[in-house]
Amino acid sequence: MHVMVSFYSYLKDLTGCAQLDETMPEGSTLGDLAKKLSSRFPKLEPMWNSILMAVGVDYQERGYLLKPGDQVSFFPPVQGG
Amino acid sequence: MKRNLEITTEPIEEAVLLAKRFISPQAGAVVYFLGVVRGSESGVTISSIEYETFEKMAEHQFHLLFDEIEKRWPIESVRLVHRVGLVKVNEPSLWVEVIGPHRGEAFAACQWLIDEMKRVVPIWKKPLPP
Repeated sequence: MHVMVSFYSYLKDLTGCAQLDETMPEGSTLGDLAKKLSSRFPKLEPMWNSILMAVGVDYQERGYLLKPGDQVSFFPPVQGG
Repeated sequence: MKRNLEITTEPIEEAVLLAKRFISPQAGAVVYFLGVVRGSESGVTISSIEYETFEKMAEHQFHLLFDEIEKRWPIESVRLVHRVGLVKVNEPSLWVEVIGPHRGEAFAACQWLIDEMKRVVPIWKKPLPP
Protein backbone atom coordinates (compact mmCIF):
# COMPACT_ATOMS: atom_id res chain seq x y z
CA MET A 1 0.00 0.00 0.00
CA HIS A 2 1.03 3.58 -0.62
CA VAL A 3 1.31 6.12 2.16
CA MET A 4 2.39 9.75 1.92
CA VAL A 5 5.09 10.87 4.29
CA SER A 6 5.79 14.49 5.26
CA PHE A 7 8.71 15.76 7.31
CA TYR A 8 8.63 19.03 9.21
CA SER A 9 11.19 21.37 10.79
CA TYR A 10 14.78 20.13 10.79
CA LEU A 11 13.73 16.64 9.79
CA LYS A 12 13.36 18.10 6.29
CA ASP A 13 17.03 19.13 6.45
CA LEU A 14 18.13 15.73 7.76
CA THR A 15 16.30 13.82 5.05
CA GLY A 16 16.72 16.36 2.27
CA CYS A 17 13.03 16.18 1.49
CA ALA A 18 9.68 17.53 2.70
CA GLN A 19 7.44 14.83 1.24
CA LEU A 20 7.67 11.40 -0.29
CA ASP A 21 5.53 8.42 -1.22
CA GLU A 22 6.36 5.15 0.47
CA THR A 23 5.16 1.64 -0.31
CA MET A 24 4.56 -0.61 2.68
CA PRO A 25 3.25 -4.17 2.98
CA GLU A 26 -0.33 -4.62 4.23
CA GLY A 27 -0.38 -4.89 8.01
CA SER A 28 2.54 -2.49 8.47
CA THR A 29 2.62 -0.18 11.44
CA LEU A 30 3.96 3.32 11.92
CA GLY A 31 6.92 1.69 13.66
CA ASP A 32 7.61 -0.40 10.54
CA LEU A 33 7.50 2.74 8.44
CA ALA A 34 9.91 4.48 10.81
CA LYS A 35 12.35 1.54 10.51
CA LYS A 36 12.17 1.66 6.73
CA LEU A 37 12.77 5.40 6.72
CA SER A 38 15.74 4.95 9.07
CA SER A 39 17.46 2.69 6.59
CA ARG A 40 16.75 5.16 3.81
CA PHE A 41 17.76 8.20 5.90
CA PRO A 42 20.36 7.04 8.47
CA LYS A 43 20.54 10.54 10.03
CA LEU A 44 17.06 9.92 11.45
CA GLU A 45 18.18 6.86 13.40
CA PRO A 46 19.34 8.54 16.65
CA MET A 47 16.25 10.80 16.71
CA TRP A 48 13.36 8.35 16.83
CA ASN A 49 12.96 8.58 20.60
CA SER A 50 12.00 12.21 20.27
CA ILE A 51 10.27 12.24 16.87
CA LEU A 52 6.50 12.77 17.02
CA MET A 53 4.23 10.94 14.60
CA ALA A 54 0.85 11.90 13.20
CA VAL A 55 -1.58 10.38 10.73
CA GLY A 56 -3.84 12.99 9.20
CA VAL A 57 -4.16 15.61 11.92
CA ASP A 58 -3.97 13.29 14.94
CA TYR A 59 -1.02 11.98 16.89
CA GLN A 60 -0.52 8.24 16.68
CA GLU A 61 1.76 5.72 18.36
CA ARG A 62 4.21 3.36 16.69
CA GLY A 63 1.71 0.50 16.86
CA TYR A 64 -0.81 2.30 14.63
CA LEU A 65 -1.78 0.06 11.67
CA LEU A 66 -1.27 1.92 8.44
CA LYS A 67 -4.06 2.10 5.85
CA PRO A 68 -3.70 2.77 2.11
CA GLY A 69 -3.55 6.48 1.43
CA ASP A 70 -2.63 7.46 4.99
CA GLN A 71 -0.91 10.84 5.26
CA VAL A 72 1.85 10.38 7.82
CA SER A 73 3.85 13.21 9.33
CA PHE A 74 7.06 13.05 11.31
CA PHE A 75 8.35 16.02 13.25
CA PRO A 76 10.49 17.00 16.24
CA PRO A 77 9.03 18.24 19.55
CA VAL A 78 6.86 21.29 18.94
CA GLN A 79 7.82 24.84 19.92
CA GLY A 80 4.85 27.14 19.54
CA GLY A 81 4.27 30.41 21.31
CA MET B 1 -17.86 28.57 24.80
CA LYS B 2 -17.11 30.90 21.93
CA ARG B 3 -13.78 30.31 20.27
CA ASN B 4 -11.83 32.14 17.64
CA LEU B 5 -8.55 30.92 16.20
CA GLU B 6 -6.29 32.59 13.71
CA ILE B 7 -2.96 31.30 12.39
CA THR B 8 -1.55 34.05 10.25
CA THR B 9 1.61 35.47 8.69
CA GLU B 10 0.27 38.99 9.23
CA PRO B 11 1.42 41.12 12.19
CA ILE B 12 -0.79 40.80 15.27
CA GLU B 13 -2.83 44.01 15.59
CA GLU B 14 -3.81 44.22 19.24
CA ALA B 15 -6.02 47.31 18.85
CA VAL B 16 -8.07 45.60 16.16
CA LEU B 17 -8.45 42.49 18.29
CA LEU B 18 -9.45 44.52 21.35
CA ALA B 19 -12.05 46.42 19.35
CA LYS B 20 -13.74 43.11 18.55
CA ARG B 21 -13.92 42.02 22.18
CA PHE B 22 -17.29 40.91 23.50
CA ILE B 23 -17.90 40.52 27.23
CA SER B 24 -21.25 39.19 28.44
CA PRO B 25 -22.91 40.43 31.65
CA GLN B 26 -21.94 37.09 33.25
CA ALA B 27 -18.23 37.62 32.76
CA GLY B 28 -16.07 39.20 35.44
CA ALA B 29 -12.58 38.42 34.20
CA VAL B 30 -10.70 39.01 30.97
CA VAL B 31 -7.18 37.60 30.83
CA TYR B 32 -4.67 38.38 28.11
CA PHE B 33 -1.33 36.82 27.21
CA LEU B 34 1.05 38.25 24.65
CA GLY B 35 4.00 36.13 23.54
CA VAL B 36 6.80 38.25 22.15
CA VAL B 37 10.00 37.22 20.36
CA ARG B 38 12.95 37.67 22.73
CA GLY B 39 16.26 39.03 21.57
CA SER B 40 18.12 35.84 22.42
CA GLU B 41 17.63 32.09 22.29
CA SER B 42 19.78 29.87 24.52
CA GLY B 43 22.06 32.83 25.22
CA VAL B 44 22.62 33.62 21.54
CA THR B 45 21.51 36.98 20.12
CA ILE B 46 18.95 36.67 17.35
CA SER B 47 17.20 39.07 14.98
CA SER B 48 14.02 37.11 14.38
CA ILE B 49 12.33 33.73 14.49
CA GLU B 50 10.99 31.84 11.48
CA TYR B 51 7.88 29.96 12.63
CA GLU B 52 6.89 26.89 10.65
CA THR B 53 3.57 25.10 11.07
CA PHE B 54 1.67 22.05 9.89
CA GLU B 55 -1.34 24.29 9.69
CA LYS B 56 -4.21 21.84 9.30
CA MET B 57 -3.01 19.79 12.25
CA ALA B 58 -2.29 22.92 14.29
CA GLU B 59 -5.88 24.09 13.81
CA HIS B 60 -7.21 20.69 14.79
CA GLN B 61 -5.01 20.45 17.88
CA PHE B 62 -5.92 23.98 18.97
CA HIS B 63 -9.61 23.09 18.74
CA LEU B 64 -9.03 19.94 20.81
CA LEU B 65 -7.48 22.18 23.46
CA PHE B 66 -10.47 24.53 23.28
CA ASP B 67 -12.77 21.50 23.68
CA GLU B 68 -10.85 20.52 26.83
CA ILE B 69 -11.03 24.05 28.25
CA GLU B 70 -14.79 23.97 27.76
CA LYS B 71 -14.97 20.72 29.78
CA ARG B 72 -12.70 21.91 32.59
CA TRP B 73 -13.70 25.54 33.26
CA PRO B 74 -16.79 27.75 32.84
CA ILE B 75 -15.07 29.92 30.24
CA GLU B 76 -17.20 32.21 28.10
CA SER B 77 -14.80 32.71 25.21
CA VAL B 78 -11.27 32.09 24.00
CA ARG B 79 -9.59 33.95 21.18
CA LEU B 80 -6.08 33.05 20.01
CA VAL B 81 -3.86 34.39 17.26
CA HIS B 82 -0.56 32.68 16.45
CA ARG B 83 1.70 34.31 13.94
CA VAL B 84 3.84 32.15 11.64
CA GLY B 85 6.53 32.99 9.11
CA LEU B 86 9.15 35.58 9.98
CA VAL B 87 8.62 37.43 13.28
CA LYS B 88 11.20 39.99 14.41
CA VAL B 89 12.50 40.49 17.95
CA ASN B 90 10.02 42.46 20.10
CA GLU B 91 7.15 41.61 17.81
CA PRO B 92 4.26 39.53 19.16
CA SER B 93 3.99 35.93 17.97
CA LEU B 94 1.07 34.88 20.15
CA TRP B 95 -2.04 36.70 21.42
CA VAL B 96 -4.50 34.97 23.75
CA GLU B 97 -7.71 36.30 25.31
CA VAL B 98 -9.73 34.27 27.84
CA ILE B 99 -13.02 35.58 29.23
CA GLY B 100 -14.74 33.95 32.17
CA PRO B 101 -16.89 34.61 35.23
CA HIS B 102 -14.00 34.82 37.70
CA ARG B 103 -10.27 35.45 37.55
CA GLY B 104 -9.39 32.00 38.95
CA GLU B 105 -10.85 30.13 35.99
CA ALA B 106 -9.69 32.67 33.43
CA PHE B 107 -6.07 32.63 34.63
CA ALA B 108 -6.05 28.83 34.99
CA ALA B 109 -7.51 28.24 31.53
CA CYS B 110 -5.11 30.70 29.91
CA GLN B 111 -2.06 29.15 31.61
CA TRP B 112 -3.20 25.64 30.72
CA LEU B 113 -3.87 26.56 27.11
CA ILE B 114 -0.40 28.02 26.60
CA ASP B 115 1.34 25.14 28.39
CA GLU B 116 -0.54 22.55 26.35
CA MET B 117 -0.09 24.48 23.11
CA LYS B 118 3.66 24.27 23.64
CA ARG B 119 3.35 20.51 24.02
CA VAL B 120 1.00 19.49 21.21
CA VAL B 121 0.44 22.14 18.55
CA PRO B 122 2.70 21.54 15.52
CA ILE B 123 4.52 24.85 15.27
CA TRP B 124 8.33 25.06 15.26
CA LYS B 125 10.80 27.92 15.69
CA LYS B 126 13.98 28.61 13.76
CA PRO B 127 15.92 31.46 15.36
CA LEU B 128 17.78 33.63 12.85
CA PRO B 129 21.04 35.51 13.55
CA PRO B 130 21.41 39.31 13.25
